[in-house]
Amino acid sequence: MIRVSVAERVAQLRDDFDRSFAEPARVFDSDSVELLAIRAGERPYAVRLAQSSGVHPDRPVTALPTTVGALLGVAGFAGTVVPVYDLAALLGHPIPQRPRWLLLTTGAPPLALAFHELDRHLRVPVADVLDGVTDDDGVRRGSLRGVVRLPDGNRPIVDVPAIRVLVHQLAGHRPVTEENR
Amino acid sequence: MAEGKDPLRYFRIEARELIDQISAGVLDLDQRAGPEPVARLLRAAHTLKGAARVVKQKEIADRAHSFEDVLVPHRTGETPLPAEEMRELLRLNDEIAAYVAALERPPEAPPPVPASPGSASPGSVPEPVDTPTHRAATQDLDDLLDAIGETNARMAPLRAGCATFDRLQRSAEQVAEQLRLGRGTATGPARAAAERLAGQLGSAGRRFTDAVDQIERELDDVRAKAEGLRLVPVGSMFTAMRRAVRDAADGEGRRVRFAARGAGIRMGAHLLGPVSGAFLHVVRNAVVHGIEPEDVRLTAGKPAEGTITVEVERRGRYAVFRCVDDGRGFDLDALRRTAEARGLLPPGGPPPDIDELLGLVLQGGISTSPSVTEVSGRGIGMDAVREVAAQLQGEVSVRTTPGQGTTVELVIPLALLAMTGLIVEAAGTVATLPLDAVRACVRLSAEEAAAAAAGGRLIHEDSAAPFLPLAEVLYAGSVVPDAPAIGAAVVVNSDGGVFAVGVDRLAGTCALVARPLPDLAPASAVIGSVAVDADGNPRLVLDPQGLADEVFRSDTGGVRGAAAAPAAPLPILVVDDSLTTRMLERSILESAGYEVDLAASGEEGLDKARARDYGLFLTDIDMPGIDGFTFVARTRADPRLAGVPAIMVSSRASAADRDRGREAGASAYVVKGEFDQEQLLAHIRRLVVRS
Repeated sequence: MIRVSVAERVAQLRDDFDRSFAEPARVFDSDSVELLAIRAGERPYAVRLAQSSGVHPDRPVTALPTTVGALLGVAGFAGTVVPVYDLAALLGHPIPQRPRWLLLTTGAPPLALAFHELDRHLRVPVADVLDGVTDDDGVRRGSLRGVVRLPDGNRPIVDVPAIRVLVHQLAGHRPVTEENR
Repeated sequence: MAEGKDPLRYFRIEARELIDQISAGVLDLDQRAGPEPVARLLRAAHTLKGAARVVKQKEIADRAHSFEDVLVPHRTGETPLPAEEMRELLRLNDEIAAYVAALERPPEAPPPVPASPGSASPGSVPEPVDTPTHRAATQDLDDLLDAIGETNARMAPLRAGCATFDRLQRSAEQVAEQLRLGRGTATGPARAAAERLAGQLGSAGRRFTDAVDQIERELDDVRAKAEGLRLVPVGSMFTAMRRAVRDAADGEGRRVRFAARGAGIRMGAHLLGPVSGAFLHVVRNAVVHGIEPEDVRLTAGKPAEGTITVEVERRGRYAVFRCVDDGRGFDLDALRRTAEARGLLPPGGPPPDIDELLGLVLQGGISTSPSVTEVSGRGIGMDAVREVAAQLQGEVSVRTTPGQGTTVELVIPLALLAMTGLIVEAAGTVATLPLDAVRACVRLSAEEAAAAAAGGRLIHEDSAAPFLPLAEVLYAGSVVPDAPAIGAAVVVNSDGGVFAVGVDRLAGTCALVARPLPDLAPASAVIGSVAVDADGNPRLVLDPQGLADEVFRSDTGGVRGAAAAPAAPLPILVVDDSLTTRMLERSILESAGYEVDLAASGEEGLDKARARDYGLFLTDIDMPGIDGFTFVARTRADPRLAGVPAIMVSSRASAADRDRGREAGASAYVVKGEFDQEQLLAHIRRLVVRS
């Protein structure tokens, strides 16, 4: 039989309290999904928060001479140099305006996606996310996965791992492995 | 033990430095006798003896004393020391080194007696004891650099705070101003209060900004120094190699001179450690298996003394380690026989050439066989180098000429490299060029720059160097902002000869640590690496060799750029409602070698643009129907046309129109009144999409 002393309980409570600060308040329950509502190339999209590790506005991007059109250049993040790709170009509808926002993706090697507008942060019930491959007109097939139903219209959800696969192909990088999916 | 109570704390550091000097000095003396190296060694040994006595390290002091005893008689003589005495010096050197190394271990451990004193076994090489230390230090430095980066990131709110102070001060001033102008009553005290507030905010803001500036400067300084520390001078591995050569030569009874080049190059300890270990085998093998006995050398017409040279050089983003000996070369016949005996070569086949045999050695196919190791050697050395190459993603190559010597070369990619960069600006982009590749910087007048750009040549020191504006290279295949004129040329050395690049301006030099471009960022070969500047933003580092390739490639035809370019440019679409302008532009473009299509209106232009692949659009602004702004904006909105650059040519000269053109997506804007054929062609050459 295990007896829990008061001191242990206090320690437990203290740990829980501390951890509540250390851990990102990401998922409150499994019934909701957190998304970022964004605009890339003047079209609305959503990105799953769980597939990003940071969003940064107005970070200088150093342009690179390259043959990969969607590669805008490189940006510095805490001493790491990260390639930046134009999300609108990857989705097949580039516009001349430089995107203002950078989204650091999860997975390796480091990769940032640039988009034009950050509309808002969303927490929606799982039921509002309709999984199933959409094929928006003009949008590269397979880069989107599902849509989220919102009062102001449906937004296709950008499939970050699929975008990563596309970038790896464009960059001539070895095919992405399962661990990043 | 408290640091302050540790009496050996400073002695360890000093003794390590002195023993390094003594180790190098003994080897110097071995190669070049004379009063000067003897005096230097005596000074070091004497200092060590004194220091050791102070901290009661009798063992070390006694050996330093014996060391002096050997040297003193040779203070004035020019004759080399007898071999016996040389060996004695080396033995004492090793013993002292062992005692010093023992002191560097935790102080509780009793200093172990050096192994087999009195018999300095030739051929045994002291392994570089400092490798693990290097590794630990690298880890610490990584942590330190991370912490500095983190701290730098934390500065952002402070920087924002400076701006906030500024804004608050201005607001307070505005309030004071409004109160001064206000017609209301009783504003006097409020106005005074507002003025006082503005003054206080102003001075507090200045103090705050000064403090933030200073912290940033100091932080940047710390970062630069820490990054530099991560890199070790190559020279640190030469002493062990000289010693290895010396011991092997002694054991084999050969006379060998060791030469080293590139000691000042700095690179990461994690690279230098393994390379140094492998090259110890290589140099030793070069002595044992390469350098012939004296009489054989003399008979072959070679100097009696053999030479082994280890060279280290930086080649773009690679480091090259090379061991060259002037010995007998590989015994190719023996290699061939063994390869055949082991079934690696078909017995009846044609005789393998040298490269094929060396390939077998490198692949390890015949390197481990003892018979071959005896005959031609190199087995272990080659294995070690091959392993290091695999570990560091490098490449090994071997060249050998029977009777004349062997060269083993290891090329490894550099992760980090400290260098001094020349900062240049070209068409709004800042880049750095390794200063050691720069031969000269020349200021260019507008006429000189135009002549150089048009002719592709820059006259420098009485010769014509191929010339290319840097902007053309940096913006290859993408949209170029409207560039200011070229104001300077940088003359650069490369393997293929001297060449020059045109830049808008030179912006000084800086110390930087270059690192490879990240994965997923494939870039043109003109970019060698990337560095991070004080603000944490990446800065491109140009690769002189890649630049050279680009410059020489576009230089193939010599004169009048465009037609001589490597890939043929796609046709150009001219959109203009004026027949005269259309014909004028067509004649200019055609005589420069471009194929031209014409459209008389924006609508016709759009139709034609969609019907064919163009390399560039050249459009007027004022036209009936859709104007040039609309034409450009529509092409930008069409994914298939967005990649085709557009240049606007118009009589409208106002800044507002230029801005509108840029907003619509035009890559350049040329005013008809200032119409300059060369300028237009320069824009086109820079922008046009090639097939």
